[in-house]
Amino acid sequence: MADTKIVNNIRTLRFMAGEMTQADLGTRIGMTRQTIAAIEAGKYSPTLEAAFRIAQVFGKTLDEVFQWEG
Amino acid sequence: MTDTSDMGLAEAGVPFREKSAWVAIAGMVVAYGAYFIVVSALPRAGSEIDETLRTIALFGIATVIRLLILGIGTLVIRSGSPADARVPSDERDRAIAGRSAAFAYYVLMAGMIVVGIMMPFNAHGVAITNAALFWLVAAEIVRYGTTISAYRRGWHG
Repeated sequence: MADTKIVNNIRTLRFMAGEMTQADLGTRIGMTRQTIAAIEAGKYSPTLEAAFRIAQVFGKTLDEVFQWEG
Repeated sequence: MTDTSDMGLAEAGVPFREKSAWVAIAGMVVAYGAYFIVVSALPRAGSEIDETLRTIALFGIATVIRLLILGIGTLVIRSGSPADARVPSDERDRAIAGRSAAFAYYVLMAGMIVVGIMMPFNAHGVAITNAALFWLVAAEIVRYGTTISAYRRGWHG
């Protein structure tokens, strides 16, 4: 379980939300575009609060945005 | 606004705080690296007071050089990405800063044990001062190095 990665659909959700930019998403949830890029690339695991904010921007539940890999 | 819709991690650019860490580490290595090379190569001064004054003067010069590198470097990276420079730190920046400070704390503690507890038995004066400065610089280099590493390799705090 400890080795299982969490993946996300943020890139797809941004595309479906009128090609929202990383910078736009970052501005809406108080993050830099580099942090959004790091989350999308699996290089940073956001806090629970930030994860909820990201899901809220896209009108999705948390598990529609973040899932266990595989 | 720059179109970042399809940016990957590399294309999103280097975070401003990582660039700042590069500038800071460069300033530390260049200025205090030169300082420690010079003080270790110089022969002992005639008296303890001369030795102390020389150390203070050299350290002052090194600090001015460090501040110049820091100031000029910060101006350059700010002018290169003014929008990024204005963005306040986010949770990843704060997590990385906290982790870096924690790593540096262990280095600083080790240094202070050497300088404050062990060295007084076999060294004195300027030697102890320089050892303390060395460990302070080492702790700062570890702090900035950890910051750079966390931004580049990822962070899953």
